[in-house]
Amino acid sequence: MKKLSFLIISFVVLGTFSFSMAQSSAKIAGKCMTCHKEKTPGIYKQWNKSAHAENNVTCISCHGANKRETDAFLHEGAYIATLVTPKDCGECHSREAEEVGRSYHATAGEILDSKDAYLAHVGGGEPIAITGCESCHGGKVLIDNNSPNKLSSKTWPNSGIGRINPDGSKGSCNACHTRHSFDKAQARKPEACSKCHLGPDHPQKEVYEESKHGNAYYTHLDEMNINADKWVVGIDYYEAPTCATCHMSATRKQKVTHDVGQRIKWTLRPPISKFKDNANQKRKNMEDVCLACHTERFMGGHFIQFDATVNLYNEKFAKPATTIMKIINKKGLKERKANFANDIDWIYWELWHHEGRRARHGAAMMGPDYAWWHGIYDVIHNFYFEFLPAARKFKDKDVDAFIDKLLKDDPMHQWFAHKTTSELKKSINNGELQKVYKNLFD
Amino acid sequence: MKLKYLHFVRGVSINQIGKLGMVLTTSSFITFIFLEVLRMMKVITNSYVGLITYLLLPSLFVVGLILIPIGWYKYRVSTGKSTKELLATRFDQNDLQKSRLGASLVRTVLLFTIINILFLSIASMRTLSFMDEAEFCGTACHSVMSPEWATYQVSPHSRVACVQCHVGEGAGALINSKLNGAWQMISASLNLYERPIPTPVHQLRPSRETCEKCHWPNKFYGSKLKSFVTYQNDEKSTPLYSTLVLKIDDGEEVGKAGIHWHINDKNTVKYASVDDKREEIIWVEVDQPDGSVKRFQNKKLNDLEIKSEETRIMDCVDCHNRATHIYEDPEKAVDKRIRKGLIDRSLPFIKRESLGALLSSFTDSETASNIITNRLNSFYRKNYPDLLGVKGEAIDKATEVLKTVYKTNIHVGMNIDWNTYPNYLNHDKDSGCFRCHNNNMVDVENKPINSDCTLCHSILAYDSKEPFQYIKPVSSADKDSAMHVYLQEEFLKSFN
Repeated sequence: MKKLSFLIISFVVLGTFSFSMAQSSAKIAGKCMTCHKEKTPGIYKQWNKSAHAENNVTCISCHGANKRETDAFLHEGAYIATLVTPKDCGECHSREAEEVGRSYHATAGEILDSKDAYLAHVGGGEPIAITGCESCHGGKVLIDNNSPNKLSSKTWPNSGIGRINPDGSKGSCNACHTRHSFDKAQARKPEACSKCHLGPDHPQKEVYEESKHGNAYYTHLDEMNINADKWVVGIDYYEAPTCATCHMSATRKQKVTHDVGQRIKWTLRPPISKFKDNANQKRKNMEDVCLACHTERFMGGHFIQFDATVNLYNEKFAKPATTIMKIINKKGLKERKANFANDIDWIYWELWHHEGRRARHGAAMMGPDYAWWHGIYDVIHNFYFEFLPAARKFKDKDVDAFIDKLLKDDPMHQWFAHKTTSELKKSINNGELQKVYKNLFD
Repeated sequence: MKLKYLHFVRGVSINQIGKLGMVLTTSSFITFIFLEVLRMMKVITNSYVGLITYLLLPSLFVVGLILIPIGWYKYRVSTGKSTKELLATRFDQNDLQKSRLGASLVRTVLLFTIINILFLSIASMRTLSFMDEAEFCGTACHSVMSPEWATYQVSPHSRVACVQCHVGEGAGALINSKLNGAWQMISASLNLYERPIPTPVHQLRPSRETCEKCHWPNKFYGSKLKSFVTYQNDEKSTPLYSTLVLKIDDGEEVGKAGIHWHINDKNTVKYASVDDKREEIIWVEVDQPDGSVKRFQNKKLNDLEIKSEETRIMDCVDCHNRATHIYEDPEKAVDKRIRKGLIDRSLPFIKRESLGALLSSFTDSETASNIITNRLNSFYRKNYPDLLGVKGEAIDKATEVLKTVYKTNIHVGMNIDWNTYPNYLNHDKDSGCFRCHNNNMVDVENKPINSDCTLCHSILAYDSKEPFQYIKPVSSADKDSAMHVYLQEEFLKSFN
């Protein structure tokens, strides 16, 4: 009997406890809303129309924090954190958080050791590294116990996609899913990506706008069901793809993925492009997207043309230029020791990081102007009239010998110093010159 | 008399080991009888208790029986006395007295042995029959099997026991399945299994031995009319019809060979696939009447070398790979419920919203249930507030139906999401039929396997406003009148 009454008592106690827990969290949520509706009406309204509001996900659900977390602070009687990390979002959106965690996007914060960030720090200075680089790439979030929300002003606000968070997670869902409405359509539109994917070094937005895909998108946006829950290309919309369509969204065969990069075969980022791991499967994944609207033949032809352009850039310009830079660096020919303190550092950098990428991206996404005028055209000019002359300035016998041999023996470069216009025109007309590039299409 | 058996028990429990053996045997015997009676009275139906009753108790019983002579032997070794001397010390002289029917002790031992043998045979029969119940398969290893159990219960084969397909007949099959089951039990308890369980399942009996017990090839003849309805995302959830005359003949009727031609007794179709998933096919071979073999090679996979053991002869499951554990496509699941009237089509945007509710999460069924409820309720509250009073019941019913759909199809613990397992019984997503019937699969003359739409079905409607759109008179003002005429002619000729 004693045992029984003990059991009954514990049930009652536990029951009341859990009931009061539920009560108190509802109470906190109510309190948050009461103040913030008045103080930050924009945030309140955005939240109010969101799916989160619909499903009783309130301020405290995402911002609630454990006292022990380094960025937790006491706010009106509750421990909260300003920063909402993929780990927090992953409490409910576990699959998305897991995909983001292993994506290339999540590594964007690691650029802080890269040449880009180096240049921003040495050539510019910390402020521009923060407002420039880290705004897109994400910075390491610093804790400042004197700050009102415990986050250092140098790292808050920051919504960079590879943000390194105090809880160890990487990234920021908010980079694409703008708070606080977390609207599906917003994340699907190209503008979600083009906060960062634009400009002289990776003009994906501009290439897209130039392409037929972009053209069709801006014409038919209203017909694209962009708010739909199920958004399968070719089924739920067919007028045009957005960035998300090709790189992330669902197809008839593939589920939506937050692991961007699973559909691209090449990395077009480095000086010399190469295949990514598991490249063939990744190309297949992209082909599956294309096939929602295009025939296999049409698509196959596009990829042959695209790959040939990347091969052209690699073989004709990127590889020789990189070899020359290696000789120069190895022999210590440069006047100043710091990288980017010499003319040739900038010339080589722009050759691959700017015009070289523009050419490759233009070819990848069917933007002819970027492939040619902003791309290979600039590469040609840089290579023959800036890079080679700058390299020759060192008057080094190894560098000169390499350049001389290249211009004399490589049939792709022979035109420059060893042929006349009429000879060259003739060889274009009779197809001889084209034969030089035959292998690039294999 | 009672005293005699008590003496026997005491006499046998010679040391700790002997006592333990006695306790184990007796207690498991009594517990078994007790639990079995409860089960017969339908007081217990739980599979876990079944596992204890039918696996643990008989094992303990046998262990106990083995321990008794071990105890006796040890005792003999430790005391150094002979069996005869020991018997004399342990048992009453009367019990050892020889008579015509043997000593009383011998008779007691004999009696117990008979009881033991009887008990063990009955117990093992009960064990086997218990393990043959679908309920056992479906619920004993709950976390692993719950997706299969959920889909099985609503499948066309829900009245066929699991073992009829998964074990088959004969002692060999039984032993095989029990060995397999032992491994499965280990991997389930030590958490060694993959999530989701990879398919195809190889322990399945060859379909010629299982499926064809009920469905034999000569039974497939002629054509089958099949109509599909899909509802649009508009306010009225307007239906669109697709009607197919599936040509499923096995080819016994001259000139009428249809889909079941592949498994006609007279035909052998063999194929090799890239991996065990049977998704990417490398080549297909068809035996010709003259004894030669015609091969179609996948142009894209020319260089792959194939070991002969990786080839398969086509049978039922190469197309009907989800004959029982059918996971639904979310859109088709909603369409089906609307068509059956389980979801009320008069609710505005019900198709769009139902699908949205199903797709908006991948989580446990309880959380998903809340999301589904919130989603539908808040949609109607926001956009059709007047409807709540009039159609509140219909909204609630739709919500309940969608929850069941979710619960049956989505199993987050096993990583089973929408369309995790492919279904080869169609050519959705270029899979199924199109694995072989595509333009890359060519013979030596570079001629592909026929993948003409009307090879396997006449098409009487395809996402059309009416179920028989294409066999109705068509006006040339119709944008696709040429297609109507073409399909109408094909259909009519196909019965010539």
